[in-house]
Amino acid sequence: MTSILYLRAIGHEFPSFLALPEAEGVIARHVRELGEADFDRFDAILVPAHIDQRALASHSAGLTRFLNRGGTLVFNGHLVYPVLPELESFVPAPGGHLDDLIVERVGEHPVFAGVEVQDLSFRRGVAGFYGRGANPPPAGAVVLHRLKADGSPLDWYWERPQGGRILMHGGNTLWMYVDDDTSAARIGPQLLCWLKAGIHQGA
Amino acid sequence: MSMAFIDGGTYYHHATRNDPQFAPCFDACIYAPELDSTDLSPFDCIYVASRQDPEYLLRARPRFEAFLAAGKTLVVMGDNQAQDWVPGVCWESTPVNFWWWLTPGADSGLRLGAPEHPLVKAVGLDAFTWHRHGQLQVPAGATSLVNTVEGGSVFYDDRVSTPGRILVTTLDPCYHHGSRFMPSTTRFLRGFLPWLAAGAPD
Repeated sequence: MTSILYLRAIGHEFPSFLALPEAEGVIARHVRELGEADFDRFDAILVPAHIDQRALASHSAGLTRFLNRGGTLVFNGHLVYPVLPELESFVPAPGGHLDDLIVERVGEHPVFAGVEVQDLSFRRGVAGFYGRGANPPPAGAVVLHRLKADGSPLDWYWERPQGGRILMHGGNTLWMYVDDDTSAARIGPQLLCWLKAGIHQGA
Repeated sequence: MSMAFIDGGTYYHHATRNDPQFAPCFDACIYAPELDSTDLSPFDCIYVASRQDPEYLLRARPRFEAFLAAGKTLVVMGDNQAQDWVPGVCWESTPVNFWWWLTPGADSGLRLGAPEHPLVKAVGLDAFTWHRHGQLQVPAGATSLVNTVEGGSVFYDDRVSTPGRILVTTLDPCYHHGSRFMPSTTRFLRGFLPWLAAGAPD
């Protein structure tokens, strides 16, 4: 069974994502309670965009160990601290107008199966929730969605050569759509199913 | 005045305090988990950016109280559970409507409370207007800059509850500005932070 750790960002917030039936068995813990043993125990670690990245970066060695032994890291947000040495900082997209914020799919992944790309570009007709820039993908990463206008790689999946996998999304938390009445609501449960299926089904 | 930015380690705190247009407003950055072991006495003003983990703010409550007792200024932005650690704060939950502005002619529910307040003059009601995370009851003698139609406030200036000055709001500009989302939050900070850095003058 896949053991999944959800890192809580702010103590009083408890996302409805964790109330999904698919989230049964997921352990939720505040980033400040993260211990070294966790990096040897869990198969997957989920990081929401509101995380204290300074706290997470203080565990960079543990995260590397976790990945090297085959763990899966799902990271959301603009990367601005050295959480992992091989990752580069967030690069904002140059434009902020509607035409600059349209998302296009360039890679398939089970987490996004049946998710209409239109539902990533717009929420209630408003553009820009999904991504306004990118955490640059390392060589060998598979870009899943990008901004049509400038090609910013909004999310990507990477099988690390040293072991482990990273599903990266340089924007709002992927599971924030879980209560939406659009196809984007599929992302949260499908992410959990993908993790629990053993991940090796890959991108 | 000398102002310290309280940093929760998030990307949006990083983006705001390092933004070239705002960085000169701050003389120091204090990482929130280190607040309870940091000497606040070199500063005249502490700026608690929106959406901190309240655990760290609660731990530092005695330091904030001593800071205010010394006649200094504490600025508390939204979503920080201020009611648990800031003297005099009474916060009420209200529904958060992120989408009200999509309806043509919709009412934000916000009204100017103190048109002559220098911050209101510097910023204007439009720059206070996006959505709100609850409302505040205004302590007797404090000044509400922006009222809600339900009888609360989203921003008040309190020079009576302590020997110092407390500026408290339910607005969360740092998160949205740092996420490159919601232009009124950037306009708000462009008026608010330089005014603070100038000593929050009357």
